[in-house]
Amino acid sequence: MGKIIILSAIFFMVVFFFKWKHKDEHTHEGKIHNRHHKIGHKHGEGYSIDFYAYTSKIRHWNATFKVSLSVLTLILCIIFDNPYVSAVVIIAMAYLIIVKGDLSVHMYLSILAIPIVFILVGTFTIAIDFSKQPMGEYNLYLGFCYVFTSKVKLKAVSFLILKVFAAISALQMMTLSTPSTEIIYVLRKAHIPKLIIELMSLIYRYIFILMDIYTKMKNSAESRLGYCDFKTSWYTFGSIASNMLVISLNKANSYYDAMEARCYDGNLIFLEEDKKVEIIQIVAAAVFIIFLIFLWGFTR
Amino acid sequence: MEKLILKVEDLYYKYGNGKSALDGVNVDIYEGEKIAVLGSNGSGKSTFFLNVDGVLKPEQGKIIYRGTVINKKNLNELRKNIGIVFQDADNQIIASTVKAEVGFGPMNLKLPKEEVLKRVEEALAYMNISDLKDRPPHYLSGGEKKRVSIADIIAMKSEVIIFDEPTAALDPLNALMLEDVLLKLESEGKTMLISTHDVDFAYRWAERVIVFSHGKIIADGTPLEIFQNKEVLKQANLKPPTLLEIYESLVEKYLLEDNKAYPKSIQEFKKIIEK
Repeated sequence: MGKIIILSAIFFMVVFFFKWKHKDEHTHEGKIHNRHHKIGHKHGEGYSIDFYAYTSKIRHWNATFKVSLSVLTLILCIIFDNPYVSAVVIIAMAYLIIVKGDLSVHMYLSILAIPIVFILVGTFTIAIDFSKQPMGEYNLYLGFCYVFTSKVKLKAVSFLILKVFAAISALQMMTLSTPSTEIIYVLRKAHIPKLIIELMSLIYRYIFILMDIYTKMKNSAESRLGYCDFKTSWYTFGSIASNMLVISLNKANSYYDAMEARCYDGNLIFLEEDKKVEIIQIVAAAVFIIFLIFLWGFTR
Repeated sequence: MEKLILKVEDLYYKYGNGKSALDGVNVDIYEGEKIAVLGSNGSGKSTFFLNVDGVLKPEQGKIIYRGTVINKKNLNELRKNIGIVFQDADNQIIASTVKAEVGFGPMNLKLPKEEVLKRVEEALAYMNISDLKDRPPHYLSGGEKKRVSIADIIAMKSEVIIFDEPTAALDPLNALMLEDVLLKLESEGKTMLISTHDVDFAYRWAERVIVFSHGKIIADGTPLEIFQNKEVLKQANLKPPTLLEIYESLVEKYLLEDNKAYPKSIQEFKKIIEK
């Protein structure tokens, strides 16, 4: 089992090496990216994840298929609790997104970097412990107490990291290849209550509208020196926030009018279409799942 | 005489804050008419449109669509047959893909799915945006959003189409596109009402002009009648169309003979001065 620790350590080293190597290319690549899709906005990560989903090459795959594959993989990762399975899942999902979905490695890693930070911080506290006496296989004297850890603990933590990471990449596969509308559609088919579904679609649409309004207000405040010092910034931010509330109420009103004008009668129904699912995709997914089960069986 | 399609009788509407927005509006609209609705901001044009479409409930007054008086029960009949393209496309686009958006109206009409799909395809092709069909509205430009909002109404196949200040946020190229669409709709015999501040456009395009001021219709007639009536123009804070003013001042200075051949477009004007 010691090998696995080394393996996972190597894996993370490769990831960080990649990240470090591409760091200086970052600004350069970012520019190209922005020039490349003119229609994309530049508002932060939330926006780009949404945008990647629309440009993904596997977007045309059947949404139900993608969502169920990703959720099934996620569940298997958690119930098997097996490092080999986790490693295979991480690689398979990266393959799907990067090779099949045609997302650049750099983009994928920068999206994963956010959860990685959380995972590392979260698991670090599990790995170490404090005590008055020197104990464990590795310890460090801090002057008033010992920080210690053991091989068993380190192993458990690295397995945990692998597991969480695999689960995240399974979900990331879904979010990076399926636009929110299609995910909502799948949820509707799974008989999630209508109210929640309608709220989800409206909130999704609204996020972008409010974001747009916020950007406009911020820009206009900025052009009038609204952010010239710390105190003013706070004041401006507060004014914008309260104004946003008023505007969103107004918008809700005019939306309702527009919906009524088009015969809205209390049921929010959108035109949705099933995309064809190819047999080869189902077969490949089934093989993948069976392989995971066998892998778990042999390495238990 | 054309058939009467919509009759509005003595319409009163007050907003929640007690401000009266419509103050006794009477108007008859006939099949296939091209009507420009003029009036300054806050004169009641948009409120009138929302009332006519049954979105706002009038305090008093009747709306008669093809001989049937509209009440609560047949309100949807009215909404089905009258479509509004709202001023701000962002206030109209509700779905998260263009296809779902254009399909929203037909879906609400409870049409079978094949029919909805057919209508969506048609409407998208009509507005020349078939390639945007799977795009989310938040990655569209202003002109594209406007097209989507027009396709929304085309897909509903309503007989009367109301445009609320359609040219307000469009660049010249998109405004030209809009006029092409209007021509196409006209050839299909649709009845159209357009509210606008662009008097040149109203003069050029409309067959009939209705002028609103303080919740009342102060004038209703052909563009020429309206724009030559100084009293009405002053009351509604409108300026006469440039082409009309030029023509009139040329006649006044005896540079052109006064044969009442008022030019509606630059081409027509050129023909007159070349003679």
